[in-house]
Amino acid sequence: MTYKQFKIMRVLIASFISATVAMAIVYNNILLSLAGVLIGILFIFLVHKKTKAVLVDERIKSIGGKAARLTYTISTITIAFLSLMFTMTGKHTGQADYEMLGILLSYIALFNLALYSLSYKFISKKYGEADDE
Amino acid sequence: MEKQMTNKIKVFRAMRNMTQEDLADKIGVTRQTIIAIEKNKYVPSLELAFKIADEFNEKIENVFEYK
Repeated sequence: MTYKQFKIMRVLIASFISATVAMAIVYNNILLSLAGVLIGILFIFLVHKKTKAVLVDERIKSIGGKAARLTYTISTITIAFLSLMFTMTGKHTGQADYEMLGILLSYIALFNLALYSLSYKFISKKYGEADDE
Repeated sequence: MEKQMTNKIKVFRAMRNMTQEDLADKIGVTRQTIIAIEKNKYVPSLELAFKIADEFNEKIENVFEYK
């Protein structure tokens, strides 16, 4: 399968999943949406296997890495800022709900930072960090 | 002025009547990557640079320049 055919198949599978999920919402049937999504995943997997063209190379991986880093930076700063806003608003107005939400968001931001540090350390080790001779 | 990587991939391709797609298929990357390298928008890894030079049966310094 060529890259062009792969792109067409990807659009078809995405349309199939969207249509099944939409039908599931209309008929209020969770099993239908689950089946649609699972069949879609299975088809995507098969199409990936059948495609002979290169789908991922070093440039695409590099772009993915940069995009992931940008997403991490923006999301962590946004969550930390929101947590600060909610905590301060909660403290000023005396609404415990806001304060709780602020604390929860700050924990999410910290979790993000910890996860980044751990994965950075792991990947850095894989590529030979601090090999003292 | 800051130094930068340039390359003669387009020239070597033309000499061998090779399309971007042909080269991409032979070295296992997408055509978009070849386009980006030719336009000097993406600097390939050392491994990929060697693969490209090898495909043209040239030394890496004949295909890529840093100046």
